Amino acid sequence: MADDPTARELEFFLAERAGRLMRTAVLLTGSHDAGQDLLQTALERLIRHWRRLDGDPEGYLLRTLYNLATDGFRRRGRLQRKLLLMRAGTQPIADPIAEVDLRDALVRLMLQLPARQRAVLVLRYWEQLTEAETADVLGWPEGTVKSTAARGLQRLRELADGWNHADPALAHVKLRGQHA
Amino acid sequence: MNTDVEGLLRDGMERFTEDVSAPAGLARAAASLHRRRVAIRATLASSAAVVAVSAVIAVVAVAGPQSGRAQTVAYLTSQVRQAVASENMVYVGRTTSTYGPSTVWAYGQQSQWVEYWPTADGNQVVNGQRQWDFPPQYRGQAYSAEGTVRVGGKLMGAYVIYPDQKYNLSGQLPTQGSACTTMGDLELGGPAVVSVNWKSFIEQMLACGAASTTGRVRVDGVETTKITGKPVTVRLAPAYGRAVREKWVTVRWALYVNPVTYLPVRIVGSTKTYGGSAGATISSATTNVQWLRPTKANIAKTLVTIPPGFQQVSSQAGV
Repeated sequence: MADDPTARELEFFLAERAGRLMRTAVLLTGSHDAGQDLLQTALERLIRHWRRLDGDPEGYLLRTLYNLATDGFRRRGRLQRKLLLMRAGTQPIADPIAEVDLRDALVRLMLQLPARQRAVLVLRYWEQLTEAETADVLGWPEGTVKSTAARGLQRLRELADGWNHADPALAHVKLRGQHA
Repeated sequence: MNTDVEGLLRDGMERFTEDVSAPAGLARAAASLHRRRVAIRATLASSAAVVAVSAVIAVVAVAGPQSGRAQTVAYLTSQVRQAVASENMVYVGRTTSTYGPSTVWAYGQQSQWVEYWPTADGNQVVNGQRQWDFPPQYRGQAYSAEGTVRVGGKLMGAYVIYPDQKYNLSGQLPTQGSACTTMGDLELGGPAVVSVNWKSFIEQMLACGAASTTGRVRVDGVETTKITGKPVTVRLAPAYGRAVREKWVTVRWALYVNPVTYLPVRIVGSTKTYGGSAGATISSATTNVQWLRPTKANIAKTLVTIPPGFQQVSSQAGV
């Protein structure tokens, strides 16, 4: 590995950028391990195309990350997830006065959004890209980015409302601007 | 949109990932994964010699000095990989698990994975815990299906949620994640060995060198050879861990193969989640495998069924 020039170049690149990319991957998948899995898959694609890359490897990697995250990356088992959450909902809350910060709650709710909405919100509010830049990364029309972001934010309000009823630990969480 | 919410979301994302750092050796792992995939492609190009050699290397590395046993495992895994790569039959896997049954039909690029509502009622207690509540009319009914459909002769990806009567189509066909990582389906807390593409999963699983022991076991009165994987333990995703009030999950799996054809006949996986206030919970999945002739009727079952009247929606609608 150390003698492989591709790997050396990649290691230099990752030494600078891996931390940020890893955080993005975690936000897109919702967990450290799934994020690592996603980033590793994206990196493997990057290696495959490394010699043919003409421009910015980070741009390529970012696009690959978002495309993998929005194409249904590991979406199987929804029912299992749903059932486990339902099961959890039937049990007494172990620590009902646990500190649940609104910001933390918002991210938890965001992780329940469909992958495309989540990807747009991460690009817009984590990467702080404009709508035009977001459209460029995802290869979507700008209008689609705009409407997807709006739907995602709307869904956050709806989900927050649902969580208030389902999870007493979140009962005090109210979004500013949330519809009654 | 209230700008406060945008700011809070941005802060929340910062906080959520503030302890996240990239693991060391990420480039090395990706390069290794790349090499493995290249090797798998070579294997699928029907080079029996390559299969045997790569399997020996993989398993000897795991088994260390026990060369006699390692060679046996290597020979066995190479035979299984060859058998799985070269067969031309319809794969049918029927899984029963703690979370309800599911079925996979697969042939070539076509596949259909159907997930059913559990048959247990809402008051059933498993491992000392009360199970979920859901409408009784759903009991045993199909909940969702994922796989492929043919639209105008073209193969497309499809996902259907039956209770919602909605589906979406995608230009991308279902893919199998790397079996070499510790994630797989673990992130969802479900049984580790549920896959749309079993052939690919088995192929990758054995290529990872994960098998460690073998033995002869009778399954339904028929003698099989057992390949056991090494247990894997990972930490649950923080949000998910909070929801189920547990911290860790340990996964085990075993493959039972026909000693004559070397094709898998049963796959068993179990997960144990523990370390939180909910107490340890063990779930398991057993998949019985059949390899059927590729008749028209059997191949037809490898496509997802979308009932008439179902509404097509985009994936961003939550399907």
